Amino acid sequence: MLRLHKKRTTRKALYAAAAAAAAASVPVLAHHSFAMFDQTKVMTLKGSVHEFQWTNPHAFIELDVPGQSGRATRWSIELNSPNNLTRQGWTRGALKAGDKVTVRIAPLRNGRAGGLFLDVQLPNGKTLDSGMPKNGTPVNVPRT
Amino acid sequence: MNPKLLSSIAGGIALGLCATPAFAQEADAPTAEAAPPQLPTGRLTDEQFDQMIPKHPGFLGALAKENLRKPRPAPPFDLTGTWFVDLREGFMKFLFGPPYPKFFEAGQEALEEAPKYMARGENYRDAIGQCFPPGMPMIMTRVWPHAFIQLPTAIYMISGFNNSVRTIFLDGREFSNPDLVVPGYNGESIGHWEGDTLVVHSKYFEPDNHYIDMGIPISDEFELVERIKLLENGTVMEVEYIMTDPQNWEGEWRNTKQYLLQDHTDINESNCILANNAHLPGTDLGQATAAERGESELGE
Repeated sequence: MLRLHKKRTTRKALYAAAAAAAAASVPVLAHHSFAMFDQTKVMTLKGSVHEFQWTNPHAFIELDVPGQSGRATRWSIELNSPNNLTRQGWTRGALKAGDKVTVRIAPLRNGRAGGLFLDVQLPNGKTLDSGMPKNGTPVNVPRT
Repeated sequence: MNPKLLSSIAGGIALGLCATPAFAQEADAPTAEAAPPQLPTGRLTDEQFDQMIPKHPGFLGALAKENLRKPRPAPPFDLTGTWFVDLREGFMKFLFGPPYPKFFEAGQEALEEAPKYMARGENYRDAIGQCFPPGMPMIMTRVWPHAFIQLPTAIYMISGFNNSVRTIFLDGREFSNPDLVVPGYNGESIGHWEGDTLVVHSKYFEPDNHYIDMGIPISDEFELVERIKLLENGTVMEVEYIMTDPQNWEGEWRNTKQYLLQDHTDINESNCILANNAHLPGTDLGQATAAERGESELGE
């Protein structure tokens, strides 16, 4: 299940967003480039956790998301470091294989199954955050 | 026993005796009738054991008690602490330019190509994503803390990002013999005090997949001088970076960074593991994983 929220786009806004994305993506070379994520978009995925890796320098989620045909696609979702996530209330056991969750991401620009983590709604209704804005503003490192 | 087999076993034991690490090397697959491998037994001679230990030719290590106890002038300051690069003026502060020096062809090409790749949503020189160390100076502007431990003979630096280790020797030693030194991503660093400033000279850098800012390459002639001061009652470390590389740019490339003392954090274990990076779509490996999985039914 997926929802894709697009901001109203004019040619001027597109240029501004592209420039902002390019400029803002530079600092994330601090780890590696985030240029491939479209941080002007927010995509919502509903699926089942296949794996949650709590590891430095980046945590990640592998999420199985059923498509219209019923076939699931496995999405790789990149998170910040556990150091940063801890400041957002995360714990090592926050996600378990099989958990049904709703995850919001900044998707890959090439349309493939991957993205940059924004937040997740857990089965108990609790939300865990990345600290990043969800309004399409490109920001590369969470405010901590 | 088959003479060929016997010879093979004897050779294996001899290999094992020569150097223990040889066990880590791939061995011939045992045949069905082969005897189980025999591990070498018996004590090593003192000489055999001594040959395993790396030793400086004629001078003490930085942690040798005798070296630490040598009389030296008191240093003007102690950098011991955990430091975090000051990015309060913006994330762009992680870069060492602009201003940039006049680059030769390779550096200029990087300056022009990197923005094009980013505009296409692609990585440009994803060395870090492939687990190459950032190296100096880029390790100093990772969004991770750095632990400094200052002793009379050396400053040990351990970075939170992939636990990069660097030693700045203060014990008066010379640079290593260029024919023996093993180049590294942090280079070899030797420091001395000039008044209230610690001056650190580093060279012998590994240039392979070692970039500054957005993919600007360095050569094996790259050298770095850092002029380090402690400000604000010891809470701010200021480092002026002076970089030269006659193969890649004209003159000196200078930039100054500040680091803030952090008393509520420590350095944890952090490793770059390629298998993990294959799950990070921000890396080229993660992109390859996504490509192998094909188009998502949920894609646009």
